[in-house]
Amino acid sequence: MMSKLKRIVDESREHKTKEIDLSDRGIQNINEVPGLMMLEHLTHLTMSHNKLAAVPPSIGELVNLQLLNLFNNIIEELPTSLSGMQKLKILNLGMNRLSHLPRGFGSFPSLEMLDLSYNNLSEQSLPANFFFVNTIRTLYLSDNDFETFPSDISKLKELQVLSFRDNDLISLPKEIGELRKLKELHIQGNRLTVLPPELGNIELTGTKSVFKADRNPWVHPIQEQFALGKTHVFDYIRSDTYKYLYGRHVNADPTPPPKSTDKAKKICKKPLHSKK
Amino acid sequence: MCAALVNGASNGDGVVLPICKAKESGAAVTSETYEYEQAQAKQRKQSESEEKQDAGGLRHVDSFKPLIPSVSMTSQLAQAVCVRCRGGFTPVEQMVNSNGEIYHENCFVCAQCFQKFPEGLFYEFEGVKYCEHDFHMLFAPCCGKCEEFIVGRVIKAMNNSWHPECFTCQICSAALADVGFVKNAGRSLCRPCHNREKALGLGKYVCNKCHTIIEEEPLRFKGDPYHPFHFNCDNCGKELTSDARELRGELFCLPCHDKQGIPICGACRRPIEERVVSAMGKHWHVEHFVCAQCEKPFLGQKHYERNGHAYCEMHYNQLFGDVCYHCNEVIDGDVVSALNKSWCVRHFQCTCCNTKLTLKNKFVEYDMKPVCRKCYEKFPLELKKRLKKAAESERRQ
Ligand SMILES: [Zn+2]
Ligand SMILES: [Zn+2]
Ligand SMILES: [Zn+2]
Ligand SMILES: [Zn+2]
Ligand SMILES: [Zn+2]
Ligand SMILES: [Zn+2]
Ligand SMILES: [Zn+2]
Ligand SMILES: [Zn+2]
Repeated sequence: MMSKLKRIVDESREHKTKEIDLSDRGIQNINEVPGLMMLEHLTHLTMSHNKLAAVPPSIGELVNLQLLNLFNNIIEELPTSLSGMQKLKILNLGMNRLSHLPRGFGSFPSLEMLDLSYNNLSEQSLPANFFFVNTIRTLYLSDNDFETFPSDISKLKELQVLSFRDNDLISLPKEIGELRKLKELHIQGNRLTVLPPELGNIELTGTKSVFKADRNPWVHPIQEQFALGKTHVFDYIRSDTYKYLYGRHVNADPTPPPKSTDKAKKICKKPLHSKK
Repeated sequence: MCAALVNGASNGDGVVLPICKAKESGAAVTSETYEYEQAQAKQRKQSESEEKQDAGGLRHVDSFKPLIPSVSMTSQLAQAVCVRCRGGFTPVEQMVNSNGEIYHENCFVCAQCFQKFPEGLFYEFEGVKYCEHDFHMLFAPCCGKCEEFIVGRVIKAMNNSWHPECFTCQICSAALADVGFVKNAGRSLCRPCHNREKALGLGKYVCNKCHTIIEEEPLRFKGDPYHPFHFNCDNCGKELTSDARELRGELFCLPCHDKQGIPICGACRRPIEERVVSAMGKHWHVEHFVCAQCEKPFLGQKHYERNGHAYCEMHYNQLFGDVCYHCNEVIDGDVVSALNKSWCVRHFQCTCCNTKLTLKNKFVEYDMKPVCRKCYEKFPLELKKRLKKAAESERRQ
């Protein structure tokens, strides 16, 4: 096994291949791939479906990396050097065991796509500068534990895709309405009862848009509009009638609906030894 | 039961509210103006003040300068008795005469603080005299909101007294003193707010124009419900019913909607008498059908549509040439379209392992991202189960 990995690295060094695929090779530690962190010319590194528990700080030496895919590992800690990667555009950290992000995580200078789906993240996990990544186009946070999301979301002016499928959201920040480029919003399977009327400022019903919002305990008038179709929902939340009802609902400060237990079996929630 | 006092109970709009239906529809506001505005009172002469007496049981009286008794009055003096202490007067004692009542100088004092009346001004209530300060303390009403004394107009409502500016709608804070209020679940509300609350309880809508409940079918216009009778057909002028139709921001009765006689230009909204261009579900004057970017009329040339706007070829490409989801560049060459997105052919790949995909490969949709079969097989069973259930629930919707 070791020798096979070594051969891949050697080949890349000799032929200056810019993309390396090391997915599904049972790697537990990046040191098992000698010389990998010296391939300065690498632009794409895929290491999904391995057993990596950590990412070494030396990852920062791959200064030309544009894509780093660490999907489906068991990573709990990330090095702060990660966000210093000048050219990184696509970072997939989906299906790991992250419950927090390192300090300064928001300082990526050119990150465009960030996938953090299926981890153990919540609003408390975000470092103070998270919303500095204003180059970001797609942010996937499905299958996490967010109950609220900071109003600073409005700083992500380039955001086109925002995915919160199966979190514990009890409200959406009204600032979401400032994301003028948003084309996809996934909020299925949360605890949402109302939508901020400001969401009506964005167009999410066209053919190139995605608006998924089922499996939420919507208040009756919204549920009714969903039964008619998404365009009706958007027409409705733009109406004065809804703005009035929404204000009234928010003022009443109702107790949020209970959490669903659907995600309780997430593998990243279980202690490690029980994962085969 | 009845929330408020009083007479006419009619408000500015001439709506008379039946007072004793207070529970449901509430009562009208009335105000009482107590007769003790100090500024006026201080200027009053004694002769006036003797006549001054009002129905409310409050009386304002001015005291006047103490009398210096003369010798010839000595015998009368012997019979004179102080109203307060019942004692007589010695010839050298000064006497105070207030509206014919005689007092020792030391007995003509506030019943509360036993001090002389500042500037001789006192207030009388049920035969007892008070200084201005104590009178306010004891009898002036206190505002139910700001808890300050109310001098001048008092609003009596909701079993409390209020400054006119402090008595407001508990939902929208509109001043209620002059427009009347409605009692709703223990709150004082303005009529529009009350109607909305009531409609809500009945599962009905409130008209966005007159703010009363719509008993029959509402007419929806720009998303809000209205009584149909507030509108007339934009074409024939007939009063509308709930089956009226909205068309390009105007309302038409059903027959007029169906046979829209002369086409109306989607840009200038005037009738089109000459050549008509029909595009994007609307009609246009030839010279008014223009590129949304450069505003040049197409004049029969091909146009491209996007988000309800028309563009010339150059501007359409400049603005909307398909952009690749992966590399964020305008796609040069063939476009892969899937999952409401576009990709460069070489950039269409599995989001989990970056393996290149073609539309011939079977892939799985995961948050509208493509995932190859091999990766999907590796998903935890619990996630696959949830995603399957989620897809079923989405299909049902
Ligand atoms: Zn006194
Ligand atoms: Zn007051
Ligand atoms: Zn009101
Ligand atoms: Zn009306
Ligand atoms: Zn025109
Ligand atoms: Zn143009
Ligand atoms: Zn591309
Ligand atoms: Zn794959």
